[in-house]
Amino acid sequence: MTKLRNVAVVSFAQAPIVPTDEHRTATEMLYPQIKRALADCGVDRDAIDYQVAGSADYLDGRVFGFVGALDVMGAWPPRQDIHLEMDAGFAAYYAWLRMQAGDCDTAMVVGYGKSSEGRPEQVLNLQLDPFYQAAIGLDAISTAALQASAYMARTKVSDRDLAEVAARNRVAGARNPDAQVRQAATADELQKTPWAVTPLRKGYIPPVGESAVCLILAAEGKAEAMCNRPVWIHGVDQCAEMQTLGARDLTRSAGMQLATSKALRMAGLSAAKEVDVVELSAATPVEELILREAMGLGAVGSDGPVINPSGGPLAGHPLMMTGLIRLGEVFRQLSGRAQMHAVAGATSGIAHVTQGHCLQQNLVWVLGREKRWT
Amino acid sequence: MLALENEPPKEPVKYIETTIHLPYDYIAGDYRARYLRALKDKKILGSRCSKTGKVFVAPLVASPESFAPADEFVEVADRGAITTFCIVNIPVIGRNLELPYVAASVALDGADISIFSLIQEVKPEDVRMGMRVEAVWKPDGERHGDHEDILYFRPTGEPDAPPESYMQRL
Repeated sequence: MTKLRNVAVVSFAQAPIVPTDEHRTATEMLYPQIKRALADCGVDRDAIDYQVAGSADYLDGRVFGFVGALDVMGAWPPRQDIHLEMDAGFAAYYAWLRMQAGDCDTAMVVGYGKSSEGRPEQVLNLQLDPFYQAAIGLDAISTAALQASAYMARTKVSDRDLAEVAARNRVAGARNPDAQVRQAATADELQKTPWAVTPLRKGYIPPVGESAVCLILAAEGKAEAMCNRPVWIHGVDQCAEMQTLGARDLTRSAGMQLATSKALRMAGLSAAKEVDVVELSAATPVEELILREAMGLGAVGSDGPVINPSGGPLAGHPLMMTGLIRLGEVFRQLSGRAQMHAVAGATSGIAHVTQGHCLQQNLVWVLGREKRWT
Repeated sequence: MLALENEPPKEPVKYIETTIHLPYDYIAGDYRARYLRALKDKKILGSRCSKTGKVFVAPLVASPESFAPADEFVEVADRGAITTFCIVNIPVIGRNLELPYVAASVALDGADISIFSLIQEVKPEDVRMGMRVEAVWKPDGERHGDHEDILYFRPTGEPDAPPESYMQRL
């Protein structure tokens, strides 16, 4: 493996996920999180070389709405900046690439957006092909249900199994102060919730929520001074699959399998089960099962890392931020900042980010307490 | 089996028409809510930067320039100076105004950034940088707490503001 530049997550701040913040616009929600993330690593705005944001203008309902965030990102004097119409977890990947190119040492990654102001299900419908898929009213829940149905047919996983996966996330989420759903639930209770789109019940899908997130990355030489326990990036990779839903096997994630194996190779690991903690952007129990299979983690209940100690997206799914929160959660776990939902002794972890219907695009981060390259 | 080399049908499938309708309910936020509510009382509010003292209208939570919070509300005047302007000769979607008309940037007294406004009750050729203007409000009982509460700005007849008084507020 080529020697790469050691880059670490040194700070992470997140607004607690809420159904709607009646008092603040998206950028007003973001500003205090940027201030907090900078304060936590003891630097002021001028110490950050590069900034990158992830959000979706269709969710905001403002054309080029993302430029509004520059007012609270401290864009004076003029800064190097880029915006992704994607989950901010992918924005972090851009920042990491820029650091590998050597043209910046520090980067601020932000995610924001107010899903409550619009109709996310209608926006996500527009992501699909306008002739065959958007036209029949498919949204992210119905495509996830198509995926779930196919997966259950292939694997014989039952409604009860889905309820148990969801319940485990809900129990974990109850310990996460930033989660939106903080009431633990049992599989029995979730299995009694009404159907959303069969075979998915309301208890198996996340509520609409919003937040604001800021994560700071720093390269070796600066990271050590900015954080008492920087969390180092050991490996990263991403894969996209085709858009046409009917043309790929929705019950498997070939992209996640490939991205995981390449990120693990970069990290010098042979299997995902060697890490202590995994945070997945699984918006349904079926997506969690598909991702586990793609990562080679084995069946639910087998030995291996703790999955989604934060409660994962089922406990809070702010669109365009869910993936960056996974990266921030692994940082919290490995840097001793997780508190109530801490995984004892965790020293390595994987964060997963996804975009598109039915896990179309997947990004995998492998992180550790020690520097990867010496 | 249909041969693909045949000409595709011209009617009625050359195009499909899709109408996209996406409703939004924007949250004003506490800052804008206070600003808009004050318009009802013919008051214009700004927020003051805690570091530089600059006053932003409409109020901003933070200074885009200094990155410091702007957490003090201050009232600014409903009059000021034109800092830059243009004469509009083409119709604009959503505005039913007699052409030509003047759209201008107005630096209100007490504010450090300017707002955009329509200028009326003056011939376009007489408008100039530094010209003193005042807000013309909707009558009492007709203001709803939105930007339409200010109908337009008009000249006050005061002497022009000297350039150095607004050059930093263009």
